[in-house]
Amino acid sequence: MSSVVSPASVDRDLAAIVGETHITHELRGFDISGVAPSVVVFPGSAEEVAAVLRLANERDLVVAPAGGLTKQQIGGVPERVDILLSTTRMNRIEEYDPGDLTIAVGAGMPFAEMQRKLGEHHQWVPCDAASPDHATIGGLLATGAAGPLKSTFGHMRDFCIGIQFVTTDGKVVKGGGRVVKNVAGYDLMKLLTGSYGSLAVMTRANFKVFPRPRQTRTFVCSFHSLDEALQFRTHLFQSPLTPMCMEIISPRATEYLRNAGTVHDPDDYAPEQPLSLPAVEWQIALRAVGSDTVLARYARELGSAVTRTLEGPAEDQFWSWISHFEQSILARHRNAMVMYTHMAIQSVGPALQAFERAAPDYNMIPAAVGRAATGNLVLAFMPLSVDPPSAMQYANCVSAFRGLLPQGSSAEVAQCPKEAKNHFDVWGTTPTDVKMMRAVKKAIDPKNILNRGRFIV
Amino acid sequence: MDSSILRQLKKIAGKDAVLDKPEELMLYEYDAGVDVHRPGAVVFAQTTQQVSQIMKMASEKKIPVVPRGAGTGLSGGAIARREAIVLSLARMNKILEIDVPNQRAVVQPGVVNLELSNATVKHGYYYAPDPSSQKACTIGGNVAENSGGPHTLALGVTVNHVTGLEIVLPDGRVVEFGGKAQDSTGLDLTGFFVGSEGTMGVVTRITVKLTKLPEHVTTLLAIYNTVEDAANTVVAITQSGVTPAALEMLDGWMVRCVEANVHAGYPEDAAAVLLIELEGMREVVEEQAKAVSEVCLQQKAREVRHAKDEKQRQLLWLGRKTAFGSVGRVSPSYYTQDGVIPRTKVPYTLAEIERISKKYDLIIGNVFHAGDGNLHPLILFNSRDPVQTENSRKAAKEIMACCLKFGGSITGEHGVGLEKMGLMTAMFTEDDLEVMIRLRNAFNPDSILNPQKMIPELHFCREITGPLPKAKVEPVEGVFA
Repeated sequence: MSSVVSPASVDRDLAAIVGETHITHELRGFDISGVAPSVVVFPGSAEEVAAVLRLANERDLVVAPAGGLTKQQIGGVPERVDILLSTTRMNRIEEYDPGDLTIAVGAGMPFAEMQRKLGEHHQWVPCDAASPDHATIGGLLATGAAGPLKSTFGHMRDFCIGIQFVTTDGKVVKGGGRVVKNVAGYDLMKLLTGSYGSLAVMTRANFKVFPRPRQTRTFVCSFHSLDEALQFRTHLFQSPLTPMCMEIISPRATEYLRNAGTVHDPDDYAPEQPLSLPAVEWQIALRAVGSDTVLARYARELGSAVTRTLEGPAEDQFWSWISHFEQSILARHRNAMVMYTHMAIQSVGPALQAFERAAPDYNMIPAAVGRAATGNLVLAFMPLSVDPPSAMQYANCVSAFRGLLPQGSSAEVAQCPKEAKNHFDVWGTTPTDVKMMRAVKKAIDPKNILNRGRFIV
Repeated sequence: MDSSILRQLKKIAGKDAVLDKPEELMLYEYDAGVDVHRPGAVVFAQTTQQVSQIMKMASEKKIPVVPRGAGTGLSGGAIARREAIVLSLARMNKILEIDVPNQRAVVQPGVVNLELSNATVKHGYYYAPDPSSQKACTIGGNVAENSGGPHTLALGVTVNHVTGLEIVLPDGRVVEFGGKAQDSTGLDLTGFFVGSEGTMGVVTRITVKLTKLPEHVTTLLAIYNTVEDAANTVVAITQSGVTPAALEMLDGWMVRCVEANVHAGYPEDAAAVLLIELEGMREVVEEQAKAVSEVCLQQKAREVRHAKDEKQRQLLWLGRKTAFGSVGRVSPSYYTQDGVIPRTKVPYTLAEIERISKKYDLIIGNVFHAGDGNLHPLILFNSRDPVQTENSRKAAKEIMACCLKFGGSITGEHGVGLEKMGLMTAMFTEDDLEVMIRLRNAFNPDSILNPQKMIPELHFCREITGPLPKAKVEPVEGVFA
């Protein structure tokens, strides 16, 4: 359908829905891969979201749902964005009974705010994704966000027990409920988690929450090679120890797990001798939970492998750096490329070898952190400040690396210069049937108005 | 069933893989729930390719197909009508791969739940979801129903343990969702498919997570003089910061019923018992056992017993796992509910159930997953007594109404199937259901696969779903018709 829409009339109608004060044309900071939206709206309720979507659907306007804008650059370059729909006004705690260990919150609530509320009762949603002060509940769900805690607790899909969302035809729909066990109806929570705003706009979510661990300690173990680190991992799998987090850290990642000094130009900051062997080693960081007796047993069984033990604020800081590895990279290298990878546990070794081999071939420095127990790695490719790569080199590097990944793995490019994005598929291949994904998208957003051209569907 | 259809089924799956005689079909007219219908034919597929051919043929001829595992379901999900073919996956029962380094197993859908754990325990791993029917139920059926079990309190239900699926769509196309990786790029169709009750596709291969056996396990039995104290303990334990591996409750009537059958060692004069299992590193379990015992005693437990050895532990569990069978010995019929409520509402809801029991003069036994608020009230009645039968339905309805009042669910793990379809409108709006139907139609556009199950086809849905398949809508003969 082609339609000529007068922007003024759209603005008028949007203002009528959300109110003059909740619509803006001040677009700084709202661009998506360099494409600015025509207008930003801030609906205050699911009903207002429904009215906005109905309007967009009727007039074939492309809508990008948004929360704290922490992951908005992920995905393909959109052809256009007519309306950026921000959920940030839907930011209330709707219900919370600590005894039930469940909470219901608006999709626009910053994650940290919910955690603070839960913290008052020694509870939490065990997710340590980046930028919790800005990232919203809806955004974390949409991107299936996770950090090191994924090793034990899984990610957002595993805590979300109920959801309210709005479809493009303006229906306010719910799935699940407020109880921790529920098989009535299809599991729409699983479908929407990780759908990158391509199916519907989430407006509210219910979570099961957990008692917060009272005491933790972190053991950092160092190894001369990746093989040794992975052997240690095998040994851990076979031991009775059950660490809450098990993170693998590549040699060059270490310098991004600390506060940077004064950064002049982002790309000035680079290791002294980037392609020579670094002084630091492969590391596996374990975070254990328990009483003094339990932690003492960890120390005993891990023995001489442990090179550093962390507790208290230093420990929290260490894990926060891991969660913010991607941000740390991007702050220092504006042209860096970051990939999220998903693979079988035993593919971690071959994937990291492939990574360390492929990156230098394309003038990139490799640095990686990741969940050694679940096979989710965050890989950073940093271009050398001398002789920066061309757009095509990013494409070739991605293609070479993906080609080396073990079968059944998938690797999406989460961050890279927007100029490069048009030269390759940022999402890549996936073991899940893409034709079926598209059929699902078509069933729920037939006119493809949500995040058109950005996600895999 | 049309003889040409039977001929084609035999051609695809083999002569000995098709049943069509009334005496054979009788065995497939029920599951473990309340609905009974005789199917038109039963076919046993042995390969993915056969499933694909059967679905293709059925799609072309518009014949409904109902996939079936062991038939242990409690909501009529595997019940088919006269016009329909039951597609049994029971002969696709091979464990294809046990991949210990990747902590995965790849199985065919007909593999029995417990057999998988038995096969992996020598490697130090097991398959965590453990429905009470785990000696008989199949993993394929577990995937369809997103089955739970006592040990899903800490470790999650089936969907948390499935990472990959091979699925035959209604038109015969074979698709893959996920694999051995924990997750993958794109929509999580694996997670979405689990629990779809055979209405989206036929699962023909499943990749599941294997869970490391805990170093130490201990089971406590807390004994109470009132149901209320036991219910309060459940709330207190979840608030104490300990997440037990399992937290089960049996009321006094159930205790006596179980004791009469298997002698699990429960005290017959108790008003309620809690079965609490803790697992993990030895030190953690020992500390938690101490903490939990204290909580129980604070909440007026008369006594807290620790299983001294594995034999005692198994005996305590035997009582819980055979509870339903024990009820079968004392009552000609019973009707199992599967409501879920927020945990803090357990004490109040149990009092309500007691009131409902008195109101209709029916025995209602309670045995349930207290830790996650998943109730299983068993309403006893004599199905030959029309008044009692009617009253049992009324009582069930009131119990469900009570669960829904607290924002609960009509089913925690047994599924909607045929049985609870009429209740879906009490939980979901027309818009909710319409979106679910649109999503189902993306997989199963002609509703050939397991028609008229799970999501009620209300009048407003007709134009979306298109013409209904041959099996016409009949009033559901379940309890809530």
